[in-house]
Amino acid sequence: MKKIAIAVAVALAAGSAYAQEKTVKIAGFGAKSGVVRSFGVNSEAAMIAAADVINNQGGVKLADGSKAKIAVEFYDDRCTAEEGISIIRRIYGTDAVVAVGPTCSNVAEPLFGILQKKVDDKGDSGLQMPVFTDVAIKIGLARISEWAFRNVPNETTMYSSLFYWLKTKYPDVQSVYGGVEEDFAHSRASWYAVMKDRAEANGYKVIGNSKWLVNDTNFSTQVREIKHANADIVAISAHPFTTCGVLKEMQRQGVKPKLLVGLTSSSSLETLQGCAKQAEGIIIPTSFAPVTKEGKAAAETTAKFKGAADLHSMAAWENIFILKQVMESEGISADKSQLQADRRKVRDGLAKLKQTQGLLGVTRRTEDREADKPYLFVQAKGGSWVVLHNPL
Amino acid sequence: MLDFLQTLSDGVLFGAIYALIGIGFTLVFGVMHKINMAYAAASVGGAYAGLLVLKAVVVAPAWMVFLGAFLAGGMLGWLVYVTCFHFIPLSSPLAPLMSTVGMLLLIDEVIVHLTAGMPQNYPAMFDDVMLRFGEFTLRGDLLLVFGISVLAMIGLLALLYRSRLGLATRAVAQQPIAAQLCGIRVTRVNALTFVIAGLLGGLAGALIGASVGALSPLLTTPLTVKGLVVTVIGGLGSIPGAIVAGLLVGGFENLFQQFRGVTERDMYVMLLLFAFLVFRPGGLFPAKS
Repeated sequence: MKKIAIAVAVALAAGSAYAQEKTVKIAGFGAKSGVVRSFGVNSEAAMIAAADVINNQGGVKLADGSKAKIAVEFYDDRCTAEEGISIIRRIYGTDAVVAVGPTCSNVAEPLFGILQKKVDDKGDSGLQMPVFTDVAIKIGLARISEWAFRNVPNETTMYSSLFYWLKTKYPDVQSVYGGVEEDFAHSRASWYAVMKDRAEANGYKVIGNSKWLVNDTNFSTQVREIKHANADIVAISAHPFTTCGVLKEMQRQGVKPKLLVGLTSSSSLETLQGCAKQAEGIIIPTSFAPVTKEGKAAAETTAKFKGAADLHSMAAWENIFILKQVMESEGISADKSQLQADRRKVRDGLAKLKQTQGLLGVTRRTEDREADKPYLFVQAKGGSWVVLHNPL
Repeated sequence: MLDFLQTLSDGVLFGAIYALIGIGFTLVFGVMHKINMAYAAASVGGAYAGLLVLKAVVVAPAWMVFLGAFLAGGMLGWLVYVTCFHFIPLSSPLAPLMSTVGMLLLIDEVIVHLTAGMPQNYPAMFDDVMLRFGEFTLRGDLLLVFGISVLAMIGLLALLYRSRLGLATRAVAQQPIAAQLCGIRVTRVNALTFVIAGLLGGLAGALIGASVGALSPLLTTPLTVKGLVVTVIGGLGSIPGAIVAGLLVGGFENLFQQFRGVTERDMYVMLLLFAFLVFRPGGLFPAKS
């Protein structure tokens, strides 16, 4: 009898320990190899750091009142569409309740395409997996599927505001010339659909644009075109490597526009590491700078996990906190037998959000599952990014 | 007209970089009749190693960084030989080809992991020197690359035709078995060829970094492709051919870009290669049969 009592006690204790060790798995994915590796490394670090903070505070409250720890598992999609699709299928086969990623827009676009387009459409066999994107920024992608959500800055709003502010601050500045990385989804879309359009909408004369490719090393012809255009503003829609190449060639050819405007993704450490001197003065709108108490703390905690804080990685940080809030408000079970129901709850919870708390302030959620994030303008000065203006 | 001349001269000067890479490809092919696909990646790897010198010595002058790249390039050349050729059955043409492709990807990924893919600022030499003839300009740093390519060609030709090592190298290239019977250590000659090509590659990597102004893993694939194009157009195994073809490809590339746009540029470069393969398969300087 005594033996049975002990066995029952052990079983109960084990059961209780099991309950305490419940975990909610969040799958992160992004580029951790190739030239955009830093994006994946930083996003992973930010997600693990955010989960660590939440876990240290007790974890996520489940439907039955118990608490579960967040476990982040990160997958490398190498910034290729086929790998990204393969990974989301793998994630779907695990017990992850939600996926956070990807890094690249050329991955996000086809990947959202394999998700179920409309919730409850029985004729659509697409994956029913909530994906909450932190980095891929090309405009309008979440519209592809009702399972896709993004917490990326709205470039249209940001560049509209930037060109408006520049017009007010520098009324003598009249013309814009663009430089675009033609074969990179984000850079291309950002120039043609955002920067060019927003500059014209704010009364600038857009003289034209020069094109180059992401692997290019010789920019003499393009910079000569920029020189001939003699525009007041040169707006470069390219990632750090070619941005630096162009800026260095501009220096060689003595091209000095009145103002330089850069792409959101270039407001990172990479640009300063590649060409701090030549990038001096470039103005970029960004959705993150460590200017608030929360932002500074997030940057410091992420640094402990060997990640750098920038507009992309801090979106990953925010995503984990938003997901915690959603999982608690929707009451997920973290029970493997209820996995698909939990995923649906997370999706519905994300869809219900009207606003979220971000590191710079309140982010408004839009009907098409995108974010309208607070932002500010930063400028490269003396080898670091300094806040030039806070329009909000 | 001035624009045309400027575009052409910019391209031709930038082609000196392709020429330097082409020389390395062609040297190894000339001796071993094998393509070393990892050559451009090892060259860029050498340049990255030069940066380590810069970081180790707080204010290292550019020449010290270049020297570091030169020496590291030689070491990487030897490493590529040992891992991709020495233990691989060379009778199968696919084996060293695939092993060097593997090495290319490995070097690329090692660089990516060490730098997180971030572009690294690279010290320049003569980047502020611009020769001006009215509106027409010539970049000083690219003239330096061009000068070094010519010097490398002269040095290599002198080594091949005026030294015992060169004699041994030519003997191995022509008849490895006969060379071995004459007492030439074929393995040693092959290894030395890789070290020499590697030294040159390290220097090429440093000059590329200096002329672009930054190093990035993004450089390895396009340089590999351009190096191969240059080697084929110049004539497999021909060092002067690599230089002429490098300048030619650089010039054409810029002209195609000027007149047909950046998105069509590489298509025309490949068409140029195709035209050579069809109409002059031996390249500009075909090897004597």
